[in-house]
Amino acid sequence: MSGETSGQLALRDPDIRLMLRVRDDDPVAFGELVELYQHRLVTVMQHLVGNKEEAEDLAQEVFLRVYRVRKKYRPRAKFSTWLFTIANNLALNALRTRQRRPVVPLNVHDSGPLGPRPAEQLVRDRAGQPGERIQQQELATIIQRALEGLNERQRVAVILNKFEDMNYAEIAEVMNLTTKAVKSLLSRARENLRQALKEYVYMDGEPVPVEPDEA
Amino acid sequence: MADLSDEERADLVAYLDGELDEQAAQALEARLGNDPRARAEAETLRRTWELLDYLPRTEASTSFTHRTLERLAVQTSSQPVMLPASRWPGRLLALGWVAAVLLAVAAGLGAANWLWPQQQTPRPERPDVEALVVQNPRVLQFKRLYEHADDLQFLRELDQPDLFGDDVGW
Repeated sequence: MSGETSGQLALRDPDIRLMLRVRDDDPVAFGELVELYQHRLVTVMQHLVGNKEEAEDLAQEVFLRVYRVRKKYRPRAKFSTWLFTIANNLALNALRTRQRRPVVPLNVHDSGPLGPRPAEQLVRDRAGQPGERIQQQELATIIQRALEGLNERQRVAVILNKFEDMNYAEIAEVMNLTTKAVKSLLSRARENLRQALKEYVYMDGEPVPVEPDEA
Repeated sequence: MADLSDEERADLVAYLDGELDEQAAQALEARLGNDPRARAEAETLRRTWELLDYLPRTEASTSFTHRTLERLAVQTSSQPVMLPASRWPGRLLALGWVAAVLLAVAAGLGAANWLWPQQQTPRPERPDVEALVVQNPRVLQFKRLYEHADDLQFLRELDQPDLFGDDVGW
């Protein structure tokens, strides 16, 4: 991608060197790799599939797949880009084949006092102690639902951009798209999120600026 | 001024992400300076993006690495018996006969010890181990998997449901 040789990439990226040790059947290297990437991978998977147990299963499958193809590994980009390419493929397969279930709020019960409240209630609460009244768990649930309202590719692009700090070129490589396509994908995704979360964006009491007319 | 077009919005998002080239960024900044509606949209897009910071950063469970390595060990230890499909029936039959003979020998020794305890043959160099094996034919059955265990403590830990649950599947 950048014109660098594999050796040059390996020099700059310690994770590539680690993966090369896995490739060469270094007995402890694979365990080190799992330790290094487990939390990031599980985080991404959980935001994609909405369920921690399934996220861990998928993350585990990613690592096992990495091990199975280790002999074919040739560093052509950052190691994390290659890893998340595998993760993306597995996650999209899982999302397309599994039966979708209603989202279960994170440690929140819909019908209880800590359940997600209607937007109107949350807006009224702004008058008292804006932002503080909304428990972070409630907001996280609302935001997670908005994220799950995106289509699969939009969701992947957003999560890679937000949680893995990937730039458009890296996301394009992971998702096998052009950079221009990623730009368009993220634009639509963020507009969809803006529409879904517009009632919560100014919960901190900041004056709402002039908004474009609704279409 | 008119609402942003899809292309202009895409440029705006790219600008917020630091992905716009210098020339396009300057043109957009000029537009934002003159268009309060575009500024408002940029601000809401930016703040919406910041809302995602409320999503939790999940951590893998403490046993994740261990479970992953164990699953890998089981998969790689099973590879030697993954035979080509065409030879499966013959090899499986042979393995079945071997297992049956071993079990028969073990059962016979056990019966002999029970019926004629005084006539036990002199014990070999490690009599306790052989007696344990005879009394526990599962050791023979899963010998290939046990070879990957470093010690008895590790074998005992495999039996803990909170670590492995139903994953072991034996």
